[in-house]
Amino acid sequence: MATNFGFSISKPRVIDVDTNNLKKSNEILAALPELQSCIGCGSCTASCTAGNLTSYNFRKVHTLVRRGEYAGAYEEMNKCMLCGKCRLLCPRGINTRRVVMLIKKCLGDF
Amino acid sequence: MFYSHFCIPFIVGTVILFVTILYRYVMWIADLPKSDKRLIVKGLFTTATLRSIWETIRESLLHVSIFKRNALLGYMHCSLAFGWFLLIVVGWIETTAYMGAEFVPLQGHVFFRYFAIGIDNHIVTFDHIMDALLLFVLSGVALAWFKRLKSKHLGMRKTTKHTIGDRIALSFLWFIFPTRLVAESITAAVYGGGGFVTANIGAALNNILPASLLTGAFEPIWWIYSCALGGFFIAMPHSRYMHIFTEVPLIFLRNYRLRVRQSQSSYDNFQVQACSRCGICIDACQLQSQLGHNNVQSVYFLRDRRANSLNMNVASDCLMCGRCADRCPVGIDLNSLRLNSRAAMRNMPNERRYNYFNALDRSTGEGKVGYFAGCMTMLTPHTLTAMQTIFTAAGEDVWWADRDGGVCCGRPLRLTGETDSANKMVQYNTALFRKHGITTLVTSCPICLKTFREDYNLEGIEILHHSQYILRLINSGKISLQHSDNKTFTYHDPCELGRGNGIYDEPRSVITAIGTLIEPKHHHRDSLCCGSSLANTVISDSEQITISSSLTLELEATGAKTLVTACPLCKKALGRTTQQKIVDLSEIVATNLNTKP
Repeated sequence: MATNFGFSISKPRVIDVDTNNLKKSNEILAALPELQSCIGCGSCTASCTAGNLTSYNFRKVHTLVRRGEYAGAYEEMNKCMLCGKCRLLCPRGINTRRVVMLIKKCLGDF
Repeated sequence: MFYSHFCIPFIVGTVILFVTILYRYVMWIADLPKSDKRLIVKGLFTTATLRSIWETIRESLLHVSIFKRNALLGYMHCSLAFGWFLLIVVGWIETTAYMGAEFVPLQGHVFFRYFAIGIDNHIVTFDHIMDALLLFVLSGVALAWFKRLKSKHLGMRKTTKHTIGDRIALSFLWFIFPTRLVAESITAAVYGGGGFVTANIGAALNNILPASLLTGAFEPIWWIYSCALGGFFIAMPHSRYMHIFTEVPLIFLRNYRLRVRQSQSSYDNFQVQACSRCGICIDACQLQSQLGHNNVQSVYFLRDRRANSLNMNVASDCLMCGRCADRCPVGIDLNSLRLNSRAAMRNMPNERRYNYFNALDRSTGEGKVGYFAGCMTMLTPHTLTAMQTIFTAAGEDVWWADRDGGVCCGRPLRLTGETDSANKMVQYNTALFRKHGITTLVTSCPICLKTFREDYNLEGIEILHHSQYILRLINSGKISLQHSDNKTFTYHDPCELGRGNGIYDEPRSVITAIGTLIEPKHHHRDSLCCGSSLANTVISDSEQITISSSLTLELEATGAKTLVTACPLCKKALGRTTQQKIVDLSEIVATNLNTKP
């Protein structure tokens, strides 16, 4: 008898950086090289105002974007309210608000 | 009789100048939004017009606000503007005194010394007055030259880098008055007359130079003077000197309550073109003094916007601390202009954004006082517990708006130019406040406070910063504090609270109710920015720390035991660079409460 915990096991999947189109990703990293110093600690996501209200996960989205996985990234980024708490907590001092703006700019339409 | 061929450059220049300026002003006014035009019509026959005339005399002619910053710099601007104005007015009176009611064309007034050669009955007083005025203007020109070499003596650490158009106009301008002096002196040398300056120089010239040379130079020097005037007039509308005339309509329109809007409007033309590029804003900018960013200050931002060459980097690289706007002698609304430039580049209307706001309200409880901590305050939990302690001690009936997850106030998005998205947050929060029926809204974050006051329509709800609220609790006797002179504090004015909202005295009154306040070097309207401003999306982490460190040094230099501020973002920024205790205002209140007997 399976109990529904509201969670399930992730489906196995592979991100192939060799075949993904990294043009946009490289554009973003060229504009803000410090993003490469991200250690993926998740402080940004833990403090996130939008993440507190929705399933929005900043670490996940920008990590996927860096790997060339753009699907849905722009829509997700539009949940961000740019409040800037993540920037204050980032142990690598990454300009996270700039990351949001860059992803919206490169993957969106303004 | 008031014509000679040398007048042609002057006449052509004057006609081109007035046609260009009139054309521009008519177009700009015609393009104003309808509501702005209505404001002008409404204000025309009120005291606003009289106030504007008075302000024009004080600022456009006398430059009183520059005098207040630096007397010598003020004198330089005043002598050029007011001196030239007097030359024109007294020159006109002079010709009228000679010619009576007879019509004298414009060049007759300007080149009167040339045409007056044939006139009998010289009125010597006018010669002396006109010479004195010319000397007054020339002293300003000399100071302007001197300022190029040693700006420090005129109170300016750095001066403006000029564009080519500016340099051309500037060269003509610097030529005008010296050539006028030479022309009038040679005239005095050849034909006699002249006041105490020109007559004496003329006599000296007669002694040094042969008479034939002076007679030969007579016509050409008037030609040069006329060309300098004409050249300046043609270059003027395309250079920074467009400000000479534009500042006047700006003063009037501002007094008629026209304001810079969220999106660009025709009124911005008057604001942008009224900048004289005096460069007073440069010294105020911490991005310049601490980081050496040399092309983003308000003067350069306006220059680029005027030339339609503004890029995102210049527009975004600004802390919007408001130090430059506070010093601007023309009173240009620099932050609002920068905001609507950002909006023009980045605003994206998108109806589907932030749909998750629907049915999001997680707040519980009731209360007449609504407390909106703000996103940043969530990162300074000491402030939250301190506010809780204060609310309990005062027995206040408080509803916490965002303790269990709230929506941002919208100002961070507005600061980056996404006005439409910000307005969605305004709608959400306004509905939330209305639903809970609060009559007072208290916030611990000056960033939220500013947008609540300026962008929200919260009629019937009093909006307070927690410093104001706490002071009220003290004054009404709801809380009392333990005072001791031995407790020393220094207070950092947050930009958004001080210059942004004009709240300087309330936090200081609260601090002095607890202990002794020692002011740092820069305080009140002159206070520094902590560097973490949400308005700047360009500078890096290390650059933020550099700015914060310079502020910390000043605060620590006061010798106060505790550093106090009233903004969660400032607290975070200063906490990174100081070894001393840095607290929010609410914390010192909570720890110094007199417990009720």
